[in-house]
Amino acid sequence: MKAFNFFSPTSLDEAKNLLSQYQESVAIVAGGTDIVIELNEGHANPDTVINIKRLKFLEYIRLDEGVLHIGALTTFDMISKSNLIKDKVRVLYDAARKVGSPQIRCLGTIGGNLSTASVAGDGVSAMMTLKASVVLESKTGQRVMSLADFLAGTGVSNRNALRADEILTEVFFKLPNEKTATAFYKLAKRKSLAISVIGAGMLVEVDDVGICTDVSMRGGCLARYPLHFKEAEEHLRGRKISRELLEETLPMLHDAVYESAKSRPWSVFYKKESVQGVYGHLFDSILEQLEGKINE
Amino acid sequence: MNKISISFNLNGQPRSIEVYPNRRVVDLLREDFGLTSVKEGCAEGECGACTVIVNGEAVTTCCMLAGQVDQATVITLEGLAQNGELDLIQKCFLEAGAVQCGYCTPGMILTAKALLMKNPVPAEDEIKIAMSGNLCRCTGYEKIHAAVNKAAQLNREALKSGGETIG
Repeated sequence: MKAFNFFSPTSLDEAKNLLSQYQESVAIVAGGTDIVIELNEGHANPDTVINIKRLKFLEYIRLDEGVLHIGALTTFDMISKSNLIKDKVRVLYDAARKVGSPQIRCLGTIGGNLSTASVAGDGVSAMMTLKASVVLESKTGQRVMSLADFLAGTGVSNRNALRADEILTEVFFKLPNEKTATAFYKLAKRKSLAISVIGAGMLVEVDDVGICTDVSMRGGCLARYPLHFKEAEEHLRGRKISRELLEETLPMLHDAVYESAKSRPWSVFYKKESVQGVYGHLFDSILEQLEGKINE
Repeated sequence: MNKISISFNLNGQPRSIEVYPNRRVVDLLREDFGLTSVKEGCAEGECGACTVIVNGEAVTTCCMLAGQVDQATVITLEGLAQNGELDLIQKCFLEAGAVQCGYCTPGMILTAKALLMKNPVPAEDEIKIAMSGNLCRCTGYEKIHAAVNKAAQLNREALKSGGETIG
């Protein structure tokens, strides 16, 4: 591992000042489950490493006026042990408790997952399904943007909009209401210690008679960033949710995956088929959750 | 590169050391403290061999920089036996024959220990989930699960008879 200077700031101001000062060549370490391996293998070679694990105040899950705020240093273990998330945000609960392994979930943070923005980041896929937004802070001020804009941005790493002097401090999203069902399904070679082959999320909001008033479908590992199944969403919006209607979207998912990944024939051959099985599981979960919530 | 000074509790003893910041915790424990129970397997957080207990949680030390255990409480396998007597979970591993080549064993035992520290009487499902981050290429896992189950069962009996849990 290349030599670097190391700092462990204890306040956000201190962290922002350090980032500003060393932005020429700096890496932030939170849980370390990605960056420490990159450092060890020589794929990342910063002159300075800033350990932000001491910023304990960035570990929180807070509900405020219908918006759920999650601090960047909240680990996947904390997320999967939150009763509020288990009860109300199944897409995030199911994504968080399948990440890596118990050990990795105790280290890995949601802020790190979004900042690294891996193709296979289950936190990225779940948060995109929830249409989350992120808060970025630097010495020069604060930026708040949708996660979609964040991922589309070209900051220091081309992975997202994060600048070299910035730190992601929070992710937030509207807490799904009583008439909303969400779900996440991870397809992988094993249940544990396996990277996602597909990590897909779904959100369906209905009115009193079961008409779909909002829908979100995002599939991780199917494009550089979670694939947006727009055609399938449009097919569901404004219609009464039923198993038949949901299953009508399966060919659209097939086609969307084919279009997105056809330059990788070795992978798309499998994924265009398996995405339908993945969403079959998601439909089961969504219908089960909506049962009893619709006045027939 | 300047050395950094870190202080932490290691197996019940306060320790301080000056290290280069590019040292991982697995190297710190093995090389600087000679605790060779900490095994490096995959070096990318995917096998669990380097697991130790940090602040009560089982974590993989190949994913951690030395500076990240400053002020922490760390337990390695060497810290389990007290006054020459093995910990309950170690005895259960011995009795169940849960060890073959032994390379995964320290990580397995510490993952089980972290679980039992939080929940002395875990259900079978909880054991399976807790142990899912440790790979073993020899045993087929059956005897490892039997060992952790046995520890949970002994704790359950101890609680029932009004005694203290041992794990």
